[in-house]
Amino acid sequence: MMSSIHYLHKEFRRMSSASQWDIGLESVGIRQDKTAFAELFKHFAPLLKAFLMKGGNLGPETAEELVQETMIKVWRRAPSFSRDQASATTWIYTIARNTRIDWYRKQSRQDASNLRAEDIYDEVEGASPYASLLQVRSISTITDQLLELPKEQAGVLRLMYLEGMSGQQVADALALPLGTVKSRIRLALAKLKINLGKGQLAGDAQSD
Amino acid sequence: MISRHPSPEWLVEYSSGSLSTAQSIATTTHIKFCSTCETMVDALAHLGGTLLQESESVPVSMRLLEHVMTSIETDFAPAEPKSELPAKVVDGIAAALPQYVRNFLPAGDLRWSFLSPSLRLATIGVGEAEFELALHRIKAGGQAPEHDHCGQEITVVLTGCFSDEEGIYQPGDFMVRDAGDIHKPIAAQNEECICLSVLAAPIKLTGFKRLLNPWLKFSPG
Repeated sequence: MMSSIHYLHKEFRRMSSASQWDIGLESVGIRQDKTAFAELFKHFAPLLKAFLMKGGNLGPETAEELVQETMIKVWRRAPSFSRDQASATTWIYTIARNTRIDWYRKQSRQDASNLRAEDIYDEVEGASPYASLLQVRSISTITDQLLELPKEQAGVLRLMYLEGMSGQQVADALALPLGTVKSRIRLALAKLKINLGKGQLAGDAQSD
Repeated sequence: MISRHPSPEWLVEYSSGSLSTAQSIATTTHIKFCSTCETMVDALAHLGGTLLQESESVPVSMRLLEHVMTSIETDFAPAEPKSELPAKVVDGIAAALPQYVRNFLPAGDLRWSFLSPSLRLATIGVGEAEFELALHRIKAGGQAPEHDHCGQEITVVLTGCFSDEEGIYQPGDFMVRDAGDIHKPIAAQNEECICLSVLAAPIKLTGFKRLLNPWLKFSPG
């Protein structure tokens, strides 16, 4: 009895924190659910197209090729998706980012290796389950607080994540000192409760 | 005190994908040792997902869904093959490296060159002109020549320890040294120290040893 209550409680928490996209993506992974995949496509493809056009500075045709590549990866890798480890949106974001990195790498250099960005990132991203209450709380804080961020802080994060700029490129684009960009990032992360330990931050502050 | 972790804004660049290949390899290597940074990187990926979710969208052409559905109909290979391990790994140190570093060793091997009696170096070609990825080995108790940095240098300790004027560095520690920092690393007495490093520009030696020392020969790419 106890264990079934415990189970239901756990399930309830899972369901309440899951979005329809999490459930759909899990269904693609478990049952090769094509209807759920088509729904995911309709929702995410236009977001990914904008993401790839802006961040990669790509024309619409190339961006669509990369959307196609990204969504096929989503289909293939769906069996490794777990709602306990990431949300569908986060998971798809990392696949799109890796696709963008690989595309850039192919364009810009004579890379002898067949390394893919996922080989580097999969080692650490989503490698540990984030089911702990603490992490679930910090994830919902990020979502809620993002809307409350001062415009100039959110703006820096958008330029970096959506347009793929480095801190220096943001500084150049906004004609600001790099230090100002760095402090906007730190203030934003503090509000979003994405913090490092105190010791680390103190050490970093002095190394600037 | 020098930090042992990447800075928050560095991890944002990692998470948003603007670091170079060499820099992201060094960062992943640190994170595998560091659960604090790992948790932070998970949260930052969620930030990326949330920003994507709330960004504007651009309609896709009508046929794109059809194309994708057709490709997955005929897709019977759900698992993408992982990049293959080079056939022959001779060097024990090369064999112990993570796969994402070994990918860059064409013959599965490292070519060590002597920089000083106690310091050896093997570069790992990642095909970038601006950054050079390399491994350093300092003999147990050995001292690397004092050197100055013309550009930024990142060091991640893989095995063993080394110390300099500012402290002791242990496996997983991630240090950034900027142009103008002079230091003189010494390995611990009991064990060889192996570090992964990313150099943004050639190093120059300080002191009279500069004539003897091939640190000068570094040329990125």
